[in-house]
Amino acid sequence: MVALARKTLVYEWRRFLPAILAVCFAGLLQLLQAALVLGIFGSASVYITGSSADLWAGYPGTQSVNLGRSIDTDVEMRLLMDPAISRVEPFHWVDADWRGPSDNGGVSVFVSGIDPRPDGLMFSQALSPELRQRLNEPNAVVVDRADLSSLGVNVGDSAIINGRRVQVVGVGSGLRALGGVNVVASLATARDLDTDSANAGRMTYFVAKLHNPADARVVAKRLRGATSFGPYEVWTAKNFARRSKMYWMLDTGAGAAVLFLAGIVFLVGAVITSQTLVAAVVGSVREYATLNALGVGVGALRKVVLEQAFWVGALGLLGSLILGGVLFLLARSYSVPVAFSFVAIIACVVLILGLAIVSGLAAMRSLRRADPATLLR
Amino acid sequence: MSSQPSIPSTSLQARGVSKAFTNGKLRSAVLQDLSLDVGAGELTLISGPSGCGKSTLLSILSGLQRPDEGGVSALGQDLGELNTRELERFRLHHTGFVFQGFNLFPALNALEQVALPLSYLGLSDAEARRRAANSLEEVGLGPRMELRPSELSGGEKQRVAIARALAKEPELLFADEPTSALDAANGQIVIDILHRIARTHGTTVLCVTHDPRLVGHADRVLTMEDGRILSDHRPAIATGTAGDDIEEPST
Repeated sequence: MVALARKTLVYEWRRFLPAILAVCFAGLLQLLQAALVLGIFGSASVYITGSSADLWAGYPGTQSVNLGRSIDTDVEMRLLMDPAISRVEPFHWVDADWRGPSDNGGVSVFVSGIDPRPDGLMFSQALSPELRQRLNEPNAVVVDRADLSSLGVNVGDSAIINGRRVQVVGVGSGLRALGGVNVVASLATARDLDTDSANAGRMTYFVAKLHNPADARVVAKRLRGATSFGPYEVWTAKNFARRSKMYWMLDTGAGAAVLFLAGIVFLVGAVITSQTLVAAVVGSVREYATLNALGVGVGALRKVVLEQAFWVGALGLLGSLILGGVLFLLARSYSVPVAFSFVAIIACVVLILGLAIVSGLAAMRSLRRADPATLLR
Repeated sequence: MSSQPSIPSTSLQARGVSKAFTNGKLRSAVLQDLSLDVGAGELTLISGPSGCGKSTLLSILSGLQRPDEGGVSALGQDLGELNTRELERFRLHHTGFVFQGFNLFPALNALEQVALPLSYLGLSDAEARRRAANSLEEVGLGPRMELRPSELSGGEKQRVAIARALAKEPELLFADEPTSALDAANGQIVIDILHRIARTHGTTVLCVTHDPRLVGHADRVLTMEDGRILSDHRPAIATGTAGDDIEEPST
């Protein structure tokens, strides 16, 4: 079989270049948009994804990790009673107000009170054991390196949280959260900073480690039913992270904006690509008509056009993946919140190849001009 | 018009064919009640001034267009009975075309141009290439089969187009003004090839032209004017074949 579609693409590459570039940039926009959305909204669940707990227990109906309400401390006992659970750790969340040394007004912060032992579950991936050790000092806090400027402090400086003096003893990375600055402290410090008397003797979350992490779903379901220790609910870490991300996506309207932008990019890309392909078909319409006169069916000719569209899509996609990868690394190096998931990449690939195929289908219509009878006039 | 010379076997037959085109409110008849028999193994020429309907006749005889009235039968098959897809299949298996413009794909070399339609016949790649190479040898392009159209002269391009039509081994070969874009020498080569195809392969070659240089090379010449056949004669060919002249003098 003579590879007409591919040979034409190679020989007349200048003709197809606009379509390849259109696909490439449409793909790049979709990829970067997905990376930004995943990066920004992924930070909504940084408390969960940055920790190594398998289960989270919190107030029933909590939609996002930053919306937690306190639960009875007896829940810790209930969790430890389950034979599948190996360890339980409290997580104290405090909504607080930060005043830095250069008094530039208050900053809304979230204080995360964690167990600072070296093998603690909370923020096990973001904080080194050495940094955790320093949290044992009274009133010590750790913030993300990228948050230093918005807090107006440097390492070693003091600041005021909810009227109490704290000291920044170190910086971590991978602590940035959505909606407010994440300040990490020990459980004792967090308790001191919590001025809400309703929270006295209660805890925001208990996180648990399982003997076998694969049992998370079953154990979460088993623990959810009990009510004898006051109202609480148990989620798997994965589930709770997803809940938090979805809450931010839908609550902020960002989800709709993303879909809208994806639609626009798809439309513009498809228009440019299909017009280029139409021009390519029209440019060879006499040759196609000759093939049809020789008995090559219209269906076979359509296949040639569709194959060209596929290759245009594949080449454009390759370009956008390479460019996207480079820009992704560049963004990472500047602490821009970008992230990727396998599903997101697959979705982008499907969308872009879909764009190329839709353009090919649109271009196929112009094959109707390839009527061999017109060659005889 | 109804003169029927003793031809070996009739491969193309038109009966009472009429065709008209409407342009706005104007309806102009192109072919009027035309009947014709074309024999196998001959080079038949249709000549006449432009606008006389010769190209329309060719497209109807080859099944590219349907007549308004009348019928065409090719190789014993009534073309009016076939739907579009069946017509494509009929053309794929039985007919070859050579057009005035060479209509070659710029990206393909000569061998690929010729092999391309063959792959749709269901031939293997090796067989398609072998046949394509043979056809190119037959039109004298053996040494140039790796070249693209941009590297070939006009005459060579037309020979590639002929090889493309020939490689399918069609029973019917239609050519529309195949020499009008060529100089005298190349036109001569092309018409000689068409003539040889008719002789050696037993192919029915029907060629539309207004090139008077070709008349002497044809087995049979039909002259058309205003949608009718004015004369039908068999010139004595230079090669020495006796031609019985059945001429209706034209005005």
